[in-house]
Amino acid sequence: MFDGLLDGYTRSLLIFAGIHMIAAYSFYLPYKTGQVSLGQAGFMAIGAYASAILTQKFGIPFAAALIVGGIAAGIIGIAIGFPALRIKGIYLLLLTLGFSEIVSVVALSWEYVGGAQGFRQISFNPFTLEYVIVIIAVLLFFFARLERSSLGRAMDSIHQDETAAEVMGIDVVRIKLLAFGLGAGIAGLAGALYAHHATFMDSTTFNIMLSVEILVFVVVGGGSTYWGPAFGAVVLNAIPEFLRALREWLELIPVAWTNFYPVNRVYDFLHGFLDFENAKRLIAYGVILILMMIFRPDGLLTRDSLRRLRLPRWKSRHA
Amino acid sequence: MRDPAASHVCLSIEGLTKRFGGFYALNQLNMDVQQGHIHALIGPNGAGKTTFFNLLTGVLPADTGKIVFDGQIVDDARPSRRTLKGIARTFQNIRLFPHLTVMETVMIGEHCRAHPSVWKALGDAVLKRPFQESVAEREMQTNAIELLEYLGLAGKRDEKASDLPYGEQRKLELARALATKPRLLLLDEPAAGMNPRETSELDRIITRVRDRGITIILVEHDMKLVMGISDNVTVLNFGTKIAEGSPRQIQDDPVVIEAYLGEDVQL
Repeated sequence: MFDGLLDGYTRSLLIFAGIHMIAAYSFYLPYKTGQVSLGQAGFMAIGAYASAILTQKFGIPFAAALIVGGIAAGIIGIAIGFPALRIKGIYLLLLTLGFSEIVSVVALSWEYVGGAQGFRQISFNPFTLEYVIVIIAVLLFFFARLERSSLGRAMDSIHQDETAAEVMGIDVVRIKLLAFGLGAGIAGLAGALYAHHATFMDSTTFNIMLSVEILVFVVVGGGSTYWGPAFGAVVLNAIPEFLRALREWLELIPVAWTNFYPVNRVYDFLHGFLDFENAKRLIAYGVILILMMIFRPDGLLTRDSLRRLRLPRWKSRHA
Repeated sequence: MRDPAASHVCLSIEGLTKRFGGFYALNQLNMDVQQGHIHALIGPNGAGKTTFFNLLTGVLPADTGKIVFDGQIVDDARPSRRTLKGIARTFQNIRLFPHLTVMETVMIGEHCRAHPSVWKALGDAVLKRPFQESVAEREMQTNAIELLEYLGLAGKRDEKASDLPYGEQRKLELARALATKPRLLLLDEPAAGMNPRETSELDRIITRVRDRGITIILVEHDMKLVMGISDNVTVLNFGTKIAEGSPRQIQDDPVVIEAYLGEDVQL
């Protein structure tokens, strides 16, 4: 569809940003009911492995495998959601983290899916970008509707005071399970898309750092509005590219201008700094998180800032 | 000592007990609340009044005892089920949702009647034309506005709940509880922190709610309010019922006066 427009690099970049965005929404939905999960990478792994088994071992078409992957992750999500109902805060973080580790250990020791060798030669899906765009569109529609619905409001109330919500007749148990299960399902879709784009994965592909990254997308973008996760994913995927571009501009400066002390030292430092490989990205995430907690604890986008921007958030008829 | 006109009993409590370790917060409480009455529950601090509300609404499980509401034994583990059956409450320490507006807060109360099933609520949220509110949603808005007008909060419907002054937050809690369409309303110190003008307004509101046919159990320290509007008064001390009767009987009861002795309360 975009063959003429995008080179392979940009296309891949958009795909990963899109998968991150879908994963960010998978975190956002349970978060809307006050459940903070550090296991979203685990649910991505379930979706990825389930769909890859179907396409590789049974020759089932990708579209069907994608749906089954999402459903499988959703079912496991509801199973994890039951114990998650009873615990909060740091204990829920540990539970979801533990779950994610279990998934990774199973992937490591299960020879059927490659074990330590990793799951190889997953069939490549040439239309990943199109799938990603469609799924994001559906998610945005879903969350836009949810935001202005009674169910969405009920979720917000659970986030703010679970006991009061329960006493006011909100079915906290079912709504939290629904949010956790649907969130896991969305993560499963992201995982399935990833597997059939990367064509290889092993037990470390969906690790704890990925779960942390997903959390950071939402915290940075803003967890109080459905635009937040998308915004966070876009910003944090764009920053490394932006720095890469800066580095390329830096290289355009003639050598004669910089090749003397102390300018050469500054130049070398900047050059090294902008060389944005993975380890530095994670350090940068840590720094960004700390700065966010200090200056904008509610994220870049909040309900109030959206109201000022007048982004689509239709008003009540009685206003 | 069962009331002979049992058909008019809205709520019947038998042997209700709650222990925290060795401390009896509520000990073998028996109590009948008449349909359509304002039944006050008074007693010194720590007498077990709020515990009683927590047991009634299911926030805490009872150790022993039976709660019969409208002829049915109430044994649901979850508070939301009891709310659906028609028991609503307000909280002593106000528990509003700080980031919701006044209007949204009331609509939370309406949610359980409008969308008792989560799946249908999901359908109502998603399977609608984009950028348009569902019929159920519009009905909820209309009802919410009606309720806010009833309580004199309509002008503040788009303000954040946490931005309201204290007295209005109490009224909003009342509105949220009424939005669940209760048949039994538990008010936990609704006049706390209110000035005399607000208290007399509350007096009128509670009476009007009662006149709608809603039975009310009122926990309150403002004795002027209690004695003025209650049909029946039960006095608790250390988790045990020490007196019950009309406001007049209670005011003259030597046991009650002794329980309150040393406290700055004008009976």
